[in-house]
Amino acid sequence: MTVASNLLTFFALAITLLLVWRRSWPGRLRLFVAQSVLLALLAAVVGMLAGKRELVVVALVFLALKGWIIPRVLARMASGTPARSGVAPGQSSGIALLAAGTLVVAAYVIILPVTASATLPTADAIPLAFAMALIGLFVCVTGRDVLGHVLGFLVFENGIFGLAVLATYGLPGLVEAGVFLDVLVIVLLLEGVVMQIRQEHDSLALDRLRELRE
Amino acid sequence: MTLVVLLLVPLIAAALLAWGPARTARNLHATTLAAMLGAVLLVIADVTRDGAVIALDGLLRADPLSAWMVGLIAVVATLAGAEALAPGHGNVDGEAMRRFYALFHLFVFTMLLAVTTDDLGLMWVAVEGTTLASVFLVNFHRTRASLEAAYKYLLICSVGIALAFIGTVLVYFADVQQFGAEAHALRWTTLLRWAPQLPPRVVELAFVFLLVGYGTKAGLAPMHTWLPDAHSEAPAPISALMSGVLLSVGLYAVLRFKTVADVAAGPDFAARLLVLLGLASLAVAAAFLWSPTNVKRMLAYSSVEHVGLVALGLGFGGAWGVAGALLHIGNHALAKSTLFILSGRIRDAFGTADILPVRGLVRAMPVTGRGFALALLALLGLPPFGLFVSELMILGAGFRGGWWLASALALVLLLMAFAGMLRALHHMAYEPGPPAARREAPSWAGAAPVAVGLGLLLLTGMAWPPGLATALARAAAVLGG
Repeated sequence: MTVASNLLTFFALAITLLLVWRRSWPGRLRLFVAQSVLLALLAAVVGMLAGKRELVVVALVFLALKGWIIPRVLARMASGTPARSGVAPGQSSGIALLAAGTLVVAAYVIILPVTASATLPTADAIPLAFAMALIGLFVCVTGRDVLGHVLGFLVFENGIFGLAVLATYGLPGLVEAGVFLDVLVIVLLLEGVVMQIRQEHDSLALDRLRELRE
Repeated sequence: MTLVVLLLVPLIAAALLAWGPARTARNLHATTLAAMLGAVLLVIADVTRDGAVIALDGLLRADPLSAWMVGLIAVVATLAGAEALAPGHGNVDGEAMRRFYALFHLFVFTMLLAVTTDDLGLMWVAVEGTTLASVFLVNFHRTRASLEAAYKYLLICSVGIALAFIGTVLVYFADVQQFGAEAHALRWTTLLRWAPQLPPRVVELAFVFLLVGYGTKAGLAPMHTWLPDAHSEAPAPISALMSGVLLSVGLYAVLRFKTVADVAAGPDFAARLLVLLGLASLAVAAAFLWSPTNVKRMLAYSSVEHVGLVALGLGFGGAWGVAGALLHIGNHALAKSTLFILSGRIRDAFGTADILPVRGLVRAMPVTGRGFALALLALLGLPPFGLFVSELMILGAGFRGGWWLASALALVLLLMAFAGMLRALHHMAYEPGPPAARREAPSWAGAAPVAVGLGLLLLTGMAWPPGLATALARAAAVLGG
C-alpha cells in the first residue's frame, strides 16, 4: 500500500507542476483531468487495500465529477474565449515553477506535526498531497483570468481530497457527499458568473473588473 | 423534534417558493417568517428547560450557545424579512421576488443548520452552503459592481472555507489516529470528550487552518477583502442578514473548535491568535472609517471592526470576556441590521449610497433619518444602548486579564472609527441640503423594524430582561468562560 500510494501521489504532484508550467488552456485542462483520474485511482487503491468499501464508492463519484462533469463545464466556460498563447506579461513559467518547488518544501515543513504522529502506511505521501493543495492555491491566487482562478481552485480541492484519503482513509459519507455537491455547485455558479462577465465585458481578463475600488 | 421542525420550516418554504407560483410568494414568505419565529421560541424553551436538545440520533444538537445563535438569526431574519415585504422594494418584478424569497429562506436554513448540528463536518457543509445560497442574492441587481462583488465573494469565501476543510480533515485525522475510526468521531461532543488525549501539535496546526478558513467567512482581517464589496452591493435585507448574523456564524464555527483546542493544546494558543486577528481587524476598519465615502461600505467596514472586537473578547476570555463577546454579537446584529435596512431606504430615496450627496436626511425622511442617527449612535457604542455595555465588558476583561497593550490599542482604534463615523453622520443627518425629491411619509410598517431594533438595544443597554443574564452565562459556560 505504501508503494502504491507514494507512487500515485507522486505522479499527481508531478502533473500539478506541469500544470503550473503549461500555459495553453486545453493543455492545462487535460492535465487537470489526468490529475483527477490519478487521485480517483489512489482513493480506489487505498479503499481496497484498507478494506474500506465506502472509499471505493467515493472514488467512483470523484472520477465522474472531477474527471468528466466538471471538465465538460470548464470546456464550455472556455469556449468562445480567445486562446491566450504565450506567457502572460510580467509572469514567467520559470518563476512560477520555482515558487511551486518552494511550496513543496514548505508543505513538508508545515505538515511535520501530522507526519510525525501518523502511523498509517500511507503517511509518507501526506506531504505530497498537501503540496498539491498549496500549489493549487498558488495557481488560484496568481491566476490572471477567471479560468485560471477556477482551475487553481479545483487543483486546490483535489489536493485536499488527496490529503483526506491519505490521512484518514476518507471522511464520513455525509461529509464527502456534501463536499462533492459543494464543488459542483461552485463550478456551476462560477459558470453563471462567467457568462454574465462575458456579456458585459467581452473578456474574462480580470483587469476589466475594477469597479469596486476605494 | 422541535429542532427538526425548526430546520424543515425554511427548507420546505424555500422549495415551495422555488417551484411555486409568483402570485402567492409574498404571503408564503410572511407565513414562513412567523412559523420560523414560533419554532425558534419552542427550541429556546426546550434548551432553557433541558440544557441541551438532540435530534436525529445526535446529528442535531442545540446547547445554550446554539440557542443564543438561533435566537439572533431568527430576530435578524424577521427584521430583514419584514423589510423585504415592503411593496415596490427595489422595483423588481414578481418573478424575481419569488426567487429572492426562495434563496432568502435557503440562506436562513443553512445558517440555522450550521449552528444546530453537532457534526463538525456537516457544519462545514452548512457554512459553505451559506455562501452558495447568498451569491445570487449579492448579485440580485445584476449590475457590474454587484457581479464583481459576487465573484469575489464566491471565490474568496470558497478558498477560505476549503482551508477550513483542511483543518477539519486534520482534526479528524488526530481523532482517528488516536481512537480508531468511529461513527461519531467528527461530532463536537465526542471530540471534546477525547480532547485531552489528542496530539497537541496537530490540533494547533488544524486550528490555524480553521481560524483562517472560518475567519474568512467571519470577516476577520486580513481575510476580509470580499466583505465590503459583497455587503455593500447586496440588497438591503440581505446585507442586514450577512452583516448581522452570517459573520457571527463564521465566528461560531471557530468557537466550536476553540473549545477543543483549548483542552488539547492549552488555552493560550487560540487566545493569542484571536487577539492578534482582532486587533488587525480593528486597525483595518479604523483606517477606512476615518473618512468613509459610501454609507453601505462604511457599515460594512464597521462590521469588520465589530467582528474584531468580538474576537478580542473571546481572546481575552474569562467570564466577562466571553459573555461580553456573545452579548456584543447580539447587539451588533440588532444595530447593524437596523442600519442596513435604513440604508436601503436612503439609497432608494436619494438614488445613491454615497455619503457626500446625502444631506438633510432628518428633514427629508423623518422616520428613516432619526432612526438612522439613533442606530448609528448605538453602533458607535454610546449609552444607553447595548453596545456600550458589551464593549465595556470586553475591554474590561482585557484590562483585568493583563492584556494592557492590546486593550489600550483597541480603545484608540475604536476612537478613530468613532470620530470618522460621527463626522459622516453629522454631514448626512444635519447638513442643510436641497429639498429631497419626495418626502418620506411616516408609516407604521416603516417604523416598526426600527422601533423593534432600537427597543431591544435599549433593553440590552439599560434593563436586562429576566433570563438574559442566565442565557448568556450558560452560553459562555459552553465555551468554558
